[in-house]
Amino acid sequence: MTDMPRQITLQQWDQRYRQLLSTGLSEPSYGGPLSRHLEDGDQRLLKLRFDNSTAALRLWNFLLTEEDRLHEARARGKKIVGTMKDLGTVPVMAYSSDELAAFYPDGAWWIPCVMELNAGLLRIADSLGIDESFCPVRAMLGAFLTEAHFPTPELLICSVGATCDDFSAIAQRLNGLGYPILWWEIPHRRGPEPGEEAVKLPGGFPAPKCQVEFVKSELRRVQAALQDLAGELLDDRKLSRGINRANHVRTYLGHLRNLAFTARVCPLPALEMLIAEMLAIHFCSDQREAIIVLRELVREVKTRVEAGYGVLDADAARIFWVNPVADLQVMNLLEKCGGRICGTEYLFAHALDPIPEDLPPLEALARMALADPMVGSSADRAERITADINRFGAEAVLISRIPGASHCALEGKVIAEIVQAKYDIPVLEMEVSPVTDSMRQTLRTQLEALVETVKEARYR
Amino acid sequence: MKSIIYSCPYVPAEWIAAHGLQPSRIVPDAANSAAVLVRREGVCPYVRAFVGEAVMCKQAGAVVVTTVCDQMRRAFDVLVRQSKLPAFLMNVPSMWQTVASQRLYMDELKRLGRFLVRLGGRSPSPNDLAKVMLEYDTARASVRAARGSWSSRRYSEAITEFGRTGKCVITETRVESDLHTAGTPLAILGGPLLGQDFELFDMVDASGGLVVLDATETGERGICAPFDRRTVREQPLIELTSAYFGGIQDPSRRPNSGLYHWLRHKLSDRAVRGIILRRYVWCDMWHAEAQRLKEWVGLPVLDIDSTGHYQTEKERWANRIPAFLEMLQ
Repeated sequence: MTDMPRQITLQQWDQRYRQLLSTGLSEPSYGGPLSRHLEDGDQRLLKLRFDNSTAALRLWNFLLTEEDRLHEARARGKKIVGTMKDLGTVPVMAYSSDELAAFYPDGAWWIPCVMELNAGLLRIADSLGIDESFCPVRAMLGAFLTEAHFPTPELLICSVGATCDDFSAIAQRLNGLGYPILWWEIPHRRGPEPGEEAVKLPGGFPAPKCQVEFVKSELRRVQAALQDLAGELLDDRKLSRGINRANHVRTYLGHLRNLAFTARVCPLPALEMLIAEMLAIHFCSDQREAIIVLRELVREVKTRVEAGYGVLDADAARIFWVNPVADLQVMNLLEKCGGRICGTEYLFAHALDPIPEDLPPLEALARMALADPMVGSSADRAERITADINRFGAEAVLISRIPGASHCALEGKVIAEIVQAKYDIPVLEMEVSPVTDSMRQTLRTQLEALVETVKEARYR
Repeated sequence: MKSIIYSCPYVPAEWIAAHGLQPSRIVPDAANSAAVLVRREGVCPYVRAFVGEAVMCKQAGAVVVTTVCDQMRRAFDVLVRQSKLPAFLMNVPSMWQTVASQRLYMDELKRLGRFLVRLGGRSPSPNDLAKVMLEYDTARASVRAARGSWSSRRYSEAITEFGRTGKCVITETRVESDLHTAGTPLAILGGPLLGQDFELFDMVDASGGLVVLDATETGERGICAPFDRRTVREQPLIELTSAYFGGIQDPSRRPNSGLYHWLRHKLSDRAVRGIILRRYVWCDMWHAEAQRLKEWVGLPVLDIDSTGHYQTEKERWANRIPAFLEMLQ
């Protein structure tokens, strides 16, 4: 543990950074003071509160230098793969080859927040007819057109089928603008019918074997495209090694989530936990480094938990958070209002579950892809959430609606009904836009009311 | 006999009928919108109306929903929780160019068949299926043949009536108002129509236009391709798959270039001079195509979004449609 844990501002981090340097801070190549990212236009950083550990410093620097990393990868001769929508499957395959680097252009959905709308990406999306009635992932269109936020990938791969309409429509718009896309189909996950051969997916849901076989055949097409691009075979041996490395990431994240969500005092803020979880989907473009970043975080959190130290009051309301927020500041706001995160389902639970290593790799990846919470029913998703509520001892559920997202219109009701039927705990649904400044007071009131309800319920 | 209700054009009526059950492709009424889904924000008005209609429909013995749009896929979750009506969610692949997708569609038809058998239907022999397919194909050809000799509203209603009952009503006696009129040729394009939407056709007529192409999902665009009668007799299920999965173009397909090829042909064939794009708010699939369509088509496009509030909507139509036609004339 580097110091007493607390949340600090960007300016405070700069002071702390200087102190740490003077005491011999050792950093990776992408290290440096966090405030330097302001030069890239990341103005939102000025309004965030950060964990003060060196592990968190490394995490933030790792996140905020991803674009440089992709350019460096290209300069070293690697081919860049833009993988879209599947959130966790194709990158495992891509990183099985040393010739490829993969990232999610979908991640551009945070640019309007991080750059406080100054990048103009949403304006570009507007000009293409993709207005604010779509999910903020529409920022991706602007990012492609400006070529200012990530290198244009040599290959774009997008999952379709049982996905949200926003993303599918936006990806099609991109395709219509002349960006070739390799589409692959992921069917809606259903339960096996009587007499139908079934398999158990990571995460526990059963699925008909025929659906796994179908996804496997789709992934075979993806595999062939990746091989072509890499100029090398992506055989079972390589894929197995890639799966093994992905499982390292998932194992560390599993430890981290378990430690952070079950500790008596919250040992790591919600914001850093959110970013750590995001590493699972494409390793922030460097799988090996992602493992090191997570290992350091786990070490820090473990030390804090053993010492009984944390960043929030011990009586903080234990909230289970559903869906990622478009405005990162809202994670800080929850804590300011007296809450802490005890369980999450940020749309990619399947990227956190270990991938089976005792199966042929494509079979294992197909099972994992089908375990995607967004591929199945809202009831399935709610079931997984209720299991984790129990595991992490959450006292309330917060469903943050993504503005315009097709799944958010109806799933909240189903999830709320199922959670309340099982646990009789409060469920709050609230919409979080990419920059919430103008509605901060409303959100604050909602969050305070939720926290108050939770705390009152403790005495009933 | 109770009906198997659905609205998606990728559900083949012939398949349900061949199982001895009554297929009914419904056109929901906006008035039922709030019956189940009270919430409006973010919810497609058509989905709200469909769910309301499915729950309220007394003649329904079961409902079939497809995965063609995400909101409908999620509406299925609500339906099964709010209603005791047996419900089936059919996976319709977004991709259409691969053999695997075509096979998946056919497998889903077989799974739908098992659902229908559980409801009391009987599994059809290839001959039974072929017979039903040929009957439907004949009736569908009669509907198609009537285009141009009936008013555009009557023709579009005949298509929906065929979807609802499987019968061609076009041979019945016409009244004067059913007759074809002249006017600036327009296409109406978009997702499925609600019952109230057919007034749009009258409004176009009254403003000096004529809908020569109903490219909505409830219109011509939602009709499957004519069957190859020889293949029907030899491999009916394959032909059914080919005519429906291969023959209906939709913006949800990936890629959706087929829709544009289909449109290019139809717009040229019918000498269309303007397009009314009629879409629902919160329908991402059509909304995302609006701008692309304008860039692509080289014709004036009137983009009308619908919230499902028909009182205010009619007033908007009454202003915008005449203005659009005036501009075209």
